[in-house]
Amino acid sequence: MLDSATILAGLGDAFQPITLFYVLAGVIVGQFVGAVPGIGPVMATAIAIPFTFGMDPLAGIGFLVGVNKGGLVGGAIPAILMNTPGTPDAAATAMDGYPLAKQGKPLKATKMALYSSVTGDTFSDIVLITVSAPLAILALRMGPVEVLGLMLLAFAVIAALMGASIVKGIAAAALGLMAAMVGTDPEHASPRLFFGQFELYDGLPLAAVAIGMLAISELLSRLSQTRAAVRATVQIPANQPPKDRRVSWAEYWACRFTLFRGAVIGTALGALPGIGSTAAAFMSYASAKQVSKDRASFGKGNLHGIAASEAANSSVMGANMIPMLTLGIPGSVSAALIISAFMIHGVQPGPFLFENQGRLIYGLFGAMIIANAMNMLVGQVGMRVWVRVVTAPESFILTSALLLCFVGVSLAAGGVFGIGVMLAFALLGFVMTTFGFSVVIFIIAFFLGPRFEISLSQSLALLNGDPMALINYPFGLAMIVAAPVLAVWLVRRRA
Amino acid sequence: MLSDRLAGAFLLILGGLLLLIIIPWQVETVDYGWLRPRTMPSLLAGLLALCGLLLVLRPGTEPPRSANWPRAALYAGLLIAGLALISRYGFLWVAPPLALALMWLAGERRWIWLAAGTMGTPAMIWLCVAILLERPLP
Repeated sequence: MLDSATILAGLGDAFQPITLFYVLAGVIVGQFVGAVPGIGPVMATAIAIPFTFGMDPLAGIGFLVGVNKGGLVGGAIPAILMNTPGTPDAAATAMDGYPLAKQGKPLKATKMALYSSVTGDTFSDIVLITVSAPLAILALRMGPVEVLGLMLLAFAVIAALMGASIVKGIAAAALGLMAAMVGTDPEHASPRLFFGQFELYDGLPLAAVAIGMLAISELLSRLSQTRAAVRATVQIPANQPPKDRRVSWAEYWACRFTLFRGAVIGTALGALPGIGSTAAAFMSYASAKQVSKDRASFGKGNLHGIAASEAANSSVMGANMIPMLTLGIPGSVSAALIISAFMIHGVQPGPFLFENQGRLIYGLFGAMIIANAMNMLVGQVGMRVWVRVVTAPESFILTSALLLCFVGVSLAAGGVFGIGVMLAFALLGFVMTTFGFSVVIFIIAFFLGPRFEISLSQSLALLNGDPMALINYPFGLAMIVAAPVLAVWLVRRRA
Repeated sequence: MLSDRLAGAFLLILGGLLLLIIIPWQVETVDYGWLRPRTMPSLLAGLLALCGLLLVLRPGTEPPRSANWPRAALYAGLLIAGLALISRYGFLWVAPPLALALMWLAGERRWIWLAAGTMGTPAMIWLCVAILLERPLP
């Protein structure tokens, strides 16, 4: 499908100084923000998207990839030092990282987290680079009926696996799809649900909705519960013996099977929409403990525990990009946010991406590998600095993040109107989260809504309104039938 | 749980309002085509009402996430007031007092952090956006 010249040109673009600069900047910002408890890579990516507006597409997307990957590394720092995970997926890291830090080896714990994170991330990136082009060729053979079936299947899996209950999952998806109905109807081009606001003719701005629901609602929740400054409970001793400050090659190599198992679990779960890195981290931790000869040491500062958790949660990110790049279906909120960045830069995700934007995609792959290397370098130097970040008061960090969101949304979503939309969806996100409705399902459904409606309209036209004609589309029919069956099966397994 | 019943009742009312009032008022009637402008919104409104009914009849057992509603409402009000002031006076004039109010409400009293939040952050944003990116501030 792609000639080697395009692939090489794309990889060459990734090594342009401007791209390298933005990837490095993204990694630094990501590690910094990831180290702040409660902010994390998803919120950092959401806030950073509008600032890529003026950048070249590869530099902008490379910056966001850097933020995301850096955030995964940074998220381990508060988990290890304060037993307060910066992100939910770092909670498993805290189980062994915090006890190791309390034994006077905080740098050893953070460095093991760094090496494991980079190892898992690189593994999943290699899988992504290897399988995405062949999968995209397969995806290109799919028509509207198959795309509709695939989206129904994705909705079923996401609604069944995320959130408190399937009813709440379906309600969150329906709310997201309803929000996507605002704007112009795709078949008749007639405006609907715009309440006289002509800014809504093109629909609700994705950046404003995503930042409002993911970032502002969480900031509101945290600010409303903040009373005092956060303090690190573990301090790094000034004079430590070298063996307590670093991870030796022998220690890293001893964890190789744990790292590999974690990376495989994270990649496998990450490729399926909706499961997420938290489940991968805990599953990997449990499997590492199960096969260990020294199970009793887990939870007391075992390096294998940190390796298992970090390799798994970091390998989810690359794998999340597989359905996103090949089918245009985001597997997680991070993937949905990166898709929105693609769209801001005029790039339409989906199976045609490899055909129309092959150079950009291979540039992105190059930027992902570079980001891993930079994560390692920045992490080596920056860990001592980021450790100070966890002691910054939440009042300052959260207020600064709020101001950044105001400006960012104004840049991406048309000024003050966009900020208004952001605040409205922040309130909706706050209420939804409090009552146990998943905002992640809402965002994914909102993002897929227009494509879902177009596919449904095209499918009805193809079938001439006759459901029996589905028999001529066996692959699509199989997915449409599989969607409710799989949802019921998954819900029963969860119960 | 009561919270599930409340959420369910809200969804039921929302679905009903959408089906009976909002969609007929805000979506044009078109009599041709496979998927008319009202079809999807109406289906979704029905689905929302159905989910609401299920939640009312069979609520879950998980308790709602803890939230400090009065403080959250206070912050939300502050942000909405901030937005109204930004649309009138501009970000650069409103950001420092808004940041001060937010940090003060969060319990911050150390002058160095208050100065960093009220002066440092808006100045850094202005430098990055207006000077480096050459984009207008709201």
